[in-house]
Amino acid sequence: MIQRISVLTRYFSKSMLFSLSGVLYLLLTLAFWFLVFNPQQQTPDEAYYQLIIGGFGAAMAFLVALSMAARANTAEHYPIMVRLQSRVEMVTAVLASSLLLTLFYQLVLALLALVNGPDLTLGHILELPPLWLAPMLVAAVLALHASDFITIGWSRIYVFGVLAILLFGQGLQNDSLASLSTSLSRYALNQGWIGISTRLESYATTLNLTDGNVVSRLFGFVFWPFQAMAEAITNGYFTANQALAPAILLLYATVLFLLAVDLFANKDLEFTE
Amino acid sequence: MIEIRNVNKQFFSIRALDNITLNIQKGEVVGLLGPNGAGKTTLFKLIAGLLHPDNGQIRPMNGRWPTIGYKPDRLLFPNRLRISEYLAMMASLSGAQAEDRERAVFNALVQVDLVSHADKRIGDCSKGMRQRLGLAQALMGNPTLLLLDEPSNGLDPNGQVEMQNLIKKLHEAGKTVVISSHQLDEITAVCTQLVILNNGKLHYQNSMVEALTISPHTLIQADRDLSEIADIVRAQHPEIQVQGSHIQLRGEAMQLRREILALLLQSQYDVLHVEQKHVTLAEIYAKAVR
Repeated sequence: MIQRISVLTRYFSKSMLFSLSGVLYLLLTLAFWFLVFNPQQQTPDEAYYQLIIGGFGAAMAFLVALSMAARANTAEHYPIMVRLQSRVEMVTAVLASSLLLTLFYQLVLALLALVNGPDLTLGHILELPPLWLAPMLVAAVLALHASDFITIGWSRIYVFGVLAILLFGQGLQNDSLASLSTSLSRYALNQGWIGISTRLESYATTLNLTDGNVVSRLFGFVFWPFQAMAEAITNGYFTANQALAPAILLLYATVLFLLAVDLFANKDLEFTE
Repeated sequence: MIEIRNVNKQFFSIRALDNITLNIQKGEVVGLLGPNGAGKTTLFKLIAGLLHPDNGQIRPMNGRWPTIGYKPDRLLFPNRLRISEYLAMMASLSGAQAEDRERAVFNALVQVDLVSHADKRIGDCSKGMRQRLGLAQALMGNPTLLLLDEPSNGLDPNGQVEMQNLIKKLHEAGKTVVISSHQLDEITAVCTQLVILNNGKLHYQNSMVEALTISPHTLIQADRDLSEIADIVRAQHPEIQVQGSHIQLRGEAMQLRREILALLLQSQYDVLHVEQKHVTLAEIYAKAVR
């Protein structure tokens, strides 16, 4: 299994790196470096370096994984699929090759950004792998779900629908939800549904009296690791809780990857010709 | 080797396979015939595990899946790779260790006569070379079951004969082969089992020997059109057919060969040819897909 995955990972990485899209991604990396880490401008600090390159890695991982999945989803891979003992091997190879290439582009950016860049201590350098890898992995697995390679029927709509609802919920304020609840309460009263109306009104009152944005925090809980990591980088140190954030992101990635594998294992392979 | 039971497969409103039941026995060369859209490629993909059946089962007879080599009908390969690189990759995926890989690639290249083109990029290969490459990659790892979807398509006559010889060799080596083709001569030459699909349904299934030896007939060819005596000839037996200058005797009517020949000579016809014939694959096919 390891041999097959490594053979496929090498094959996919090589074919993408020397393709037109591979070259375009390299140019994109260079353009990004020139715009964000222009060596003729002021020297960026460590936090900026860590955050920007980490964000670049996540965005690049999404793009590269999407391209890699499209590349894997072609009819020339039918004979390869027949040779594999499990379809997991193919998904793993696509993910691994996407991460490898993203790491390459990220490394190019990270090294270039050191020209007139911050002086990184050994401590900072050791912080980089978990900080950069975890969001990159989540982004790459999400990209797999967005691709035709993995998706079955409406699966990508469900995955990204849930994500959209969580993002929308995170933006909800207590007062807007309270006002919605009051409107619904009035409507229920007009319909003669006294019980429902009373409950909704009471809910609206509770929301108005509650300190802070409970709803927003409830939905935003899922995004906490991203916030925690950004805060820790900005502050320059990790609290005990914040140190768990990369591990939680890896857990998200694992769950999403297992879902992707399950979808791929159960789909009819109709690769593009 | 593989048991296919009541398999159905539908793509949107199109029923690609309709209640197919079929056994692929170890060591057989199964010829899959049928017009375009009959469901042959779908059946290949189901056996190869690329598609899942909507209903029914495809399972190994001895409980263990055979190793499969698959040559799809479309000759699509990674164009940037060289032939040897691609085959080395397929050998690795088939479990060949580094020290065996080169030998496995060389053997496959020899078998399909591509040794002199080993370093050629796949993108630069002709259709015939791609066809050979398709077979070579299917042979990698010495699989027990070979699924060859139209293996001779695009090959020149010599290449077709070589392909037939290769399939015969694979059969002699005990491989199980499922082959689809529109070339009836090829199917007749290499297959031991015959399966005919049409509109997703199984229309015919028999061993090749039985298929070709049933309903023998005698064919008599006269020197000119037989319409003058056609009714007299037909009146001898219901299984006598007269068409143009030919008379065909089937079943018990074959016993009347001497009488019919005598009748022709009496009526001033010359007999050009008399032949004892069996049904042809073309006739079986035409009847099955009618």
